[in-house]
Amino acid sequence: MSPRKKLLIIDDDPDFVEGIKSILEGADYEVEVAYNPKEGFQALQSKPYDMLLLDIMMGRGAEGVMVARKIRKDPKLREIPVLIITGIREQIAFLFPGGPVHPHFVPVDELVEKPVEPQLLLERVSSLLTLAEARKAGTR
Amino acid sequence: MDDKPSILIIDDEEVVLDSCVQILEGSGYPVATASDGERGLERLQTFPADVVYVDLKMPGISGFEVLERIYAQDPSIVTVVITGYATVGSAVEAMKKGAYDFLPKPFTPDEFRLITQRALEKRRLVLETMTLRREREMLREHFAAIVSHELKSPLGSVQQNLFALERELAQNLNDSQKSRLDRMKASVDTLLKLIHTWLRAYSTDLERISDAFKPTDLRLVISKSVESVQVHATRKDIEVLTVIEEPLGLVQGDEGTLSEAVINLLGNAIKYSRLEGEVHVRAREAEDHVLISVADTGVGIAREDLPLVLGGFHVGKPGPEAERGSGLGLAITQRIVQAHGGSLSIESDLGRGSTFTIRLPALPGKPPVRPEERLENAAKSQQGGTE
Repeated sequence: MSPRKKLLIIDDDPDFVEGIKSILEGADYEVEVAYNPKEGFQALQSKPYDMLLLDIMMGRGAEGVMVARKIRKDPKLREIPVLIITGIREQIAFLFPGGPVHPHFVPVDELVEKPVEPQLLLERVSSLLTLAEARKAGTR
Repeated sequence: MDDKPSILIIDDEEVVLDSCVQILEGSGYPVATASDGERGLERLQTFPADVVYVDLKMPGISGFEVLERIYAQDPSIVTVVITGYATVGSAVEAMKKGAYDFLPKPFTPDEFRLITQRALEKRRLVLETMTLRREREMLREHFAAIVSHELKSPLGSVQQNLFALERELAQNLNDSQKSRLDRMKASVDTLLKLIHTWLRAYSTDLERISDAFKPTDLRLVISKSVESVQVHATRKDIEVLTVIEEPLGLVQGDEGTLSEAVINLLGNAIKYSRLEGEVHVRAREAEDHVLISVADTGVGIAREDLPLVLGGFHVGKPGPEAERGSGLGLAITQRIVQAHGGSLSIESDLGRGSTFTIRLPALPGKPPVRPEERLENAAKSQQGGTE
């Protein structure tokens, strides 16, 4: 059996985090949480995760975008699959011009809106993990 | 000292100018004079007057034209016409066109002072009204934006936890508990959608859509829109019938927001229709414009309510199924249509139904239909709606 997949959530809303964390843990994922972008990025650098779930609207604005940009610039980190979770669709279109639904700021990413139905969340997480693994196998 | 209101007097009689200046001396109001209309308007560029006196009978451009040009430049400037007793009629004419008052010649210093005081008071009120209106607009905008964001994210978290709880408790819930949970989820979902509509109505995104305009086929817009409301129509046993009159030209636009506009109209038509009714969608070209009309045979709108309908926050009398809207759908639709250089019009008969028509400028050039196709389409008198 493959070991449990380790996911990191970066989101500043503890209530929302509880809501998705319990769904993910119920599906046998190992979940860690960072409640602000800075801690989140540190966590990403300190150890390997199989996937990142990233909130965009954090702090005083779209601080999640800063995390996204840093990940994109880091050749090692940019291989991690990212599920962007956001409450505001219009702003996403603005932040990633031309890509309202599928931002593609790293090779493997996807976007869902808050709140997200459990089934959709689990589908997206598992398909992103599969895609990332296939990509990894392909590049070797 | 600087915020003392100032007065400009435009009159060709030097004696009038002199006496006005003398009367106002000591009042502290900055006063400027000009001996004809052209000079007066020029003076106004450097001397921002609060009140302007204009002689109606002057050589050069007429007093009326001066009034018009002042009004065009800044409608908040209060104007008073100076006129001889013999020409009170023209003073009335001037007041109909926006002058605040008139000063008959010859006048006493007291008359002049009194009218000046009244005109300045009027100016103060005009400025105050403008400020209040601006504040009200800002308040409305910010209120909506802040409230929406502050409500949206906690509500989203509530919903997320309802989702999670439902999953975790799935084995332990009885039917009644399950149905209560379902109703909670449905209510929160309705609230989230409402907030989304508010945000949409107040966001400035709609002004930016023209950046992404491209030639758009309205057939596609219409078929997508009809498809997206089909569920609601089926629920009320309403038939949505589409007629496309060929040839139908393209428009320069954004497919997504145009669909949103048509969906809003269709949604309203269904919402305010009786069970088993019909909704007719018709697209045709007329005089360089493409028209999309959505007609229902529903409850209709009272004549006196028609002007309110597009204003935003107007919620019509509940539909037959006691359905209500957010009151913003039409306002958003109108903004979308206007961003496309088009217009939205309504015809309605209370009790009989309403027709909303979107009018968009057609793209010059050939319609995207091959001649043989056109013949085929002409042969079909009607094209049925989906399903």
